[in-house]
Amino acid sequence: MTKLKIERLTRCFQGLVALNDVSFSMEEGEILGIIGPNGAGKTTFINLVSGIIMPSSGRIEYKGRDITYAPAHERARLGIARTYQLIHPLENLSLIENVMVGSIFARGNGLKAARRKARDLCAALGLENLGRDTSKLTILEIKKMEIARALANEPEVLLLDEVMAGLNSDETRLLIGMVQSVAKERCLAVGVVEHVMGVIRELTHRVIVLEAGELIAQGPYEEVSKNPRVIEAYLGGAA
Amino acid sequence: MNRNLLRLAAALAGAAAVALPAFAGAYPLQVARNVIMYMALAITWDMLLRSGQISFGIAGLFGIGAYAAVLGVLRAGMSPWLSIAFAAAFAGAASFLIGFLILRLRTMYFSIVTLALAEIFRIVIHNLPEFTGGPEGVVLEGVIMKGSASGLYWLTLGGLAVALAASWGFEKSRMHFALTAIRNNETSAKSSGIDIFRWLLVAFVVTSSIQGLLGGIYVQSYGFATPDSVFDANFTLLPLAMALLGGIHSTIGPVLGAILLGLAAEWLKLRIPYGHLVVYGIIIIVVILFMPKGLYGLARKVSGAADRRRA
Ligand SMILES: Nc1ncnc2c1ncn2[C@@H]1O[C@H](COP(=O)(O)OP(=O)(O)OP(=O)(O)O)[C@@H](O)[C@H]1O
Ligand SMILES: [Mg+2]
Repeated sequence: MTKLKIERLTRCFQGLVALNDVSFSMEEGEILGIIGPNGAGKTTFINLVSGIIMPSSGRIEYKGRDITYAPAHERARLGIARTYQLIHPLENLSLIENVMVGSIFARGNGLKAARRKARDLCAALGLENLGRDTSKLTILEIKKMEIARALANEPEVLLLDEVMAGLNSDETRLLIGMVQSVAKERCLAVGVVEHVMGVIRELTHRVIVLEAGELIAQGPYEEVSKNPRVIEAYLGGAA
Repeated sequence: MNRNLLRLAAALAGAAAVALPAFAGAYPLQVARNVIMYMALAITWDMLLRSGQISFGIAGLFGIGAYAAVLGVLRAGMSPWLSIAFAAAFAGAASFLIGFLILRLRTMYFSIVTLALAEIFRIVIHNLPEFTGGPEGVVLEGVIMKGSASGLYWLTLGGLAVALAASWGFEKSRMHFALTAIRNNETSAKSSGIDIFRWLLVAFVVTSSIQGLLGGIYVQSYGFATPDSVFDANFTLLPLAMALLGGIHSTIGPVLGAILLGLAAEWLKLRIPYGHLVVYGIIIIVVILFMPKGLYGLARKVSGAADRRRA
C-alpha cells in the first residue's frame, strides 16, 4: 500500500531550487534510501514531508490524503515522524521525558501511559538510566533517543536524516539492525538519508538519487550504483 | 530524599502565612501583603517564561484587571467580590485576543510588544474620561471587607494560592512538556505533535487571567485606581527581578526571590527613598550576568555537588 505519494514537489530558496519537480512514492514496509551529494536536497525533502517548510509547488499525499500544506504538528499526529540531521535534544527534559513528548502530543496519551510506552521503547532500543540529562548521553545514546522520540509518535512513515553519522562501524551495524527490526515489526515506510553507501546497501530495498534538487535515478541499490549519471554526480561532487 | 522535608516545610510555611494576622501587627501585615502580591505576579511571569517567551506585559494585564474591577462596580453595579472574578475574566478575554495577535512573535519582538501593552491601555483609559475617569482615575465608595487588615491580607493570600495552584498544575501536567519543548526547540516540538500556538495561547491566557485577578484584588484593597498607579512599570519590573533572583523555570524560585527582594526593598525604602529601585536594577544585572539560574539554581548545583561527593 502506498503511504506517501510525492508529486512534482518543488521548493525554491530565493533563487536556488533546492528540490525540483520530484515525484515518487513510499510503500508500506519498504525502506527507501535517499542519497545524493551535499546540497542535493535530501534534508529539504524531509523538511517538506514533515511540514517544517512548505513547498513552492507540487503535492504531498499521505494515505490518499492531501497534506501538502498541513502544519507540522498535524502531520506528526497523522503518522509522519522524523529525526534531525542536526540533533535537537530537549535539554531541559530527561532522556525518558524526551521520548514521552511524542507519545503525549502526537498520540494524545496521558503522562502515565506515555511514560510506560517510552520506557518500553527505550528498552527495545537498549537505552538505560532513563532519568539522565541529555547532556550526559553518548553519541550512540543520543541517536537512539532521536529514533525513540520519532517512534513515540507511533508513525507509519519514518524519515531518518543521517542518524548513523558520527557512529563507529559497530555502532552503525547495531543501529542498522534496530531500524530494520522496528520497520518490520511496525510495517513502517522508512526513508533513510545516509552518506555511507554500505549502510544504504545493507538497509534499503530501493534508492532514489537526488542531485542539485533533481531526481536522477531510482531503483535497487545494486542497479542505481552502476548508473553512469549517479557515478558522475558523486565523482563530480567529490572533485 | 529530602522531598518530604520540602513538603513539610511548605506546609508549615503555608500554615504560618495563613495564621500571620493572629500575631503580626498592622505594619508587618501590610508588608507581607505586598510581598505576597508581587510573589504571585512573579510566579505568573515565570509560568509563561517556561515557554521561552519573555513578557513585559504584567503591568498591562494587572492594570486591565484593576480597571475591570473598579468599572465593574461603578458602571455595572457589581459587588466587590464579583468584580474581582470579573477582573480575571476580562483580563483573560483580553489576553485571548491579544494573544492571537502577538503569540506568533518571538524573542525581543514579543517582549517589546508586551511592553507596549500597559502604555496602550493607559492611553485608552486617559482618553475615555466619561467612562474610565480619565487621568484622575476613579474612587470606589469603600474598600472590600470594610478594609479589615486581616481580611485584605487573606484576600491577597487567596490570589497567591491561585497562582501557586496554577504553577504546580503547569509543572505536573502535559503543560510542562509542551512549554519546555517549545522553549528548547520549536522545530522538534512541532515534529512531536505540539501545536505551539495553541499551548502558548493557553499559557498566556491563564497567566494573564491571574494577573488580572491580582489587579482586581489590588484595587478592591485600596479603593481607587488611576492609570499611573495601576499600570506602574514596577508591577512588571519587580516580579521579574524576584523571579530572576530566586530562580526561573520553577515555582519555588519566584517565591524565594519575592521574599528576599520584597523584604530587602522594604528595609531599603525606609533608609533611602527610591533607593530600592536602584537595588532592583543592580540585582537584575548581577543575576543575569553571574547567576542565570538564580538562587534556587545555585542551591541545586551546590547540593548536587554535595550529593556527588557523598556518593
Ligand atoms: N533554509 C534555507 N535557506 C536557503 N537555502 C537553503 C535552506 N535550506 C537548504 N538550502 C539550500 O538548499 C540546498 C539543498 O539543501 P539540503 O539541506 O536539502 O541538502 P542535503 O541534500 O540535505 O545536503 P547534506 O548532505 O549536506 O545534508 C542547499 O544548496 C542548501 O544550501
Ligand atoms: Mg541534509
